[in-house]
Amino acid sequence: MATVVNGIKLEDFNALHEELKRNAEFVSKIHKWNARIRWAGSGFNFTSYVRNHKFTISEPSDIGGADSGPSAHELILTALGACYSTGFIYNATKRNIQIKNFEVAIEGEIDDILVFFGLSDKGHPGYKKIVVKAYVEADADEKTIKEIWEAAVKGSPVGNTLQRGVEIVPQVSLVRK
Amino acid sequence: MGKVINGLDIESLSSLLDEARKNKELVQKISKWYARVRWAGTGFTFNSYVRNHSFTISEPSELGGPDKGPNAVEYVISALGACYLTGFILNATKRGVNIKNLEIALEGEIDNILVFLGISNEGHPGYRKVIAKAYVEADCDEKTLKEIWEETVRTSPVGNTLARNVEIVPQLSLIK
Amino acid sequence: MSALFPVTVVGSWPRPKWLLDALRKKREGKISEEEFQAIADEAVLIAIKYQEDAGVDIISDGEQRRDNFYSFVADKIEGIELKTVAEFMDFAEDKSAFEALLRKLDVPAFAIRSPIVTNYIHKRIPLALNEAKFLKEHTNKKIKVALPGPYLLTRSSWIKGISDKYYKKKEDLAEEFSKILREEIILLRDAGVDFVQLDEPVLMEVLYGPELSVQTFMCAALTAKENPRDELSFAVDILNKTVQGITGVKLGVHICRGNWSKSEEAQLKGDYYPLLPFLLDMKVNQYVLEFATKRAGSIDVFKDYPTEKELGLGVVNPKTDEIERPEDIISLVKKALNYFRPEQIYLNPDCGFGTFAESPVNTPKISFLKLKSISKAASVLRKEYS
Ligand SMILES: [Zn+2]
Repeated sequence: MATVVNGIKLEDFNALHEELKRNAEFVSKIHKWNARIRWAGSGFNFTSYVRNHKFTISEPSDIGGADSGPSAHELILTALGACYSTGFIYNATKRNIQIKNFEVAIEGEIDDILVFFGLSDKGHPGYKKIVVKAYVEADADEKTIKEIWEAAVKGSPVGNTLQRGVEIVPQVSLVRK
Repeated sequence: MGKVINGLDIESLSSLLDEARKNKELVQKISKWYARVRWAGTGFTFNSYVRNHSFTISEPSELGGPDKGPNAVEYVISALGACYLTGFILNATKRGVNIKNLEIALEGEIDNILVFLGISNEGHPGYRKVIAKAYVEADCDEKTLKEIWEETVRTSPVGNTLARNVEIVPQLSLIK
Repeated sequence: MSALFPVTVVGSWPRPKWLLDALRKKREGKISEEEFQAIADEAVLIAIKYQEDAGVDIISDGEQRRDNFYSFVADKIEGIELKTVAEFMDFAEDKSAFEALLRKLDVPAFAIRSPIVTNYIHKRIPLALNEAKFLKEHTNKKIKVALPGPYLLTRSSWIKGISDKYYKKKEDLAEEFSKILREEIILLRDAGVDFVQLDEPVLMEVLYGPELSVQTFMCAALTAKENPRDELSFAVDILNKTVQGITGVKLGVHICRGNWSKSEEAQLKGDYYPLLPFLLDMKVNQYVLEFATKRAGSIDVFKDYPTEKELGLGVVNPKTDEIERPEDIISLVKKALNYFRPEQIYLNPDCGFGTFAESPVNTPKISFLKLKSISKAASVLRKEYS
């Protein structure tokens, strides 16, 4: 029987690893990610389409939204937390460490939200600081868990995106039907 | 109820802006945001909890996941797109411009994904570049449209977060 | 007649480290129930000694055998399971309340357990009878046993999507808890318990929780949209049904503003005034209330609500490190004497010293000194008022 760690078949895991080392085409494919968001036609409600997935993005009611889903700035926090989590499970599995429980609590603080509303131009409306707190339950010593966590943080695509200042290319076009 | 543009009540929107101008407590409250992500206990599946919302984050099957939802890097560009659209609706409504259709296509390019996998040390595993292409259908001239868009891009919380270096504080505790 | 101003406790005592280890091992199935109880016996004897030495007149067993003051019932009642917040988060109607709480406590959802009704409930073994018997055998003092009140149990354990398969409304479940508790109170009385106290801390949460956005797991399980007046009336009705007509034992109800961390800011704030009309409808002998902490407001709330019931007056704050001086306690009692006669007043701390096993609010040493201060104050008062 195949060995399964953290619900992942090690055989498949290793095969994928080998594939990534050799197959440049596959690697270049997973370098590009796409999403499409549509305004739902009324207020702060949007539908996001990612591959075969679809979800709603909205704003809380105290900012005038319908609160039909999380907001964009909450999704960023979620993405960071999920990315660290993915990296943690990945790196634990690589070291053959079984994890019992893993959870992260994320807290982000905006520099100056009034800039978004056009009421200030002092600071910027982005996050200035994000605290990510991970809680782990596993049969492993503290040192190993720390190693896994550090590898997850260091190798995190979302973490690196947030810490490096990405080049954003905004384009707009007026469409007349 | 007063005049409604883009599904937003103009009166309540302007009283919200007034409130944001005066009410320090409200500003403080909407400057802090939280999320919690839990590993679902098997493979690459995670549940996220944001206020009263919950949703799933996963990995595509080609990356060894069960593909139960978008993955983290896809959520990042979704967040950017949604943030631009939110700002666009706000800034259009502020100017009294009716929007008929609004859509944005995003494309992000990772610098070197092999760093995530621990196979390479060159470059970094984050996005190097994100293209955000908005399509608008509205009864307004190009100039106004450009103005709305530029203000939106300039004042976007997620855009600013991504374009600057955020301080991330990772903390770990082992629970027995 | 016995002496005036009897000194008593609210219930819990800080547990020794070796007891916490044993509690964990029992939960993990590494030691048997019998092995655990033998270890807990030792801890109870220590708790008894502390209280006797401090001059407490009506003592408890320090709730040493319990993980906290309400979830211990999961071991005794079939149909209730201890579930982690992670396990029922998806069913919680007010997830943001849980989030706020997890953040405040700095714990993950998988590390916090709450008793949840996952089937029809019935009592497997008595809830606190063994505790009472052991305590009775090892002291000559009068004894007190605290039980979670019927409203607290209902409110904390009924979750829509899980429990409603068995009890459509939380009111239906409340009836069952009421029967179980009633039976237990009678068992305790017959075993020689002098004082049974029902803990109903969530009543303050019903009043002040939503508006202060401070909630506990005990309340977050249900949506906060309930009307406080309806909730309080329901709580009074179900409590009265539980104790109706029981004689031969002193019955008290304890209502406080939270005791789950040492931090004063993390607890609820607001006086008893809006609660008093409901409180006075409860068919108990004694109200065990907080008055040492500033968060509880003034005792002058009784001005508009005179009562013939007894008052268990909270005179020391279990969460603070400084020991209240007997003079301070005496002056608080004198304020209470504006609204109560001397024979109506009992003296106790605001709450327990170790409500939650893993996060006691004080050390045994400070807890002991606080109790000692109360008994010193009591002896001065007795001289003055006898
Ligand atoms: Zn209490």
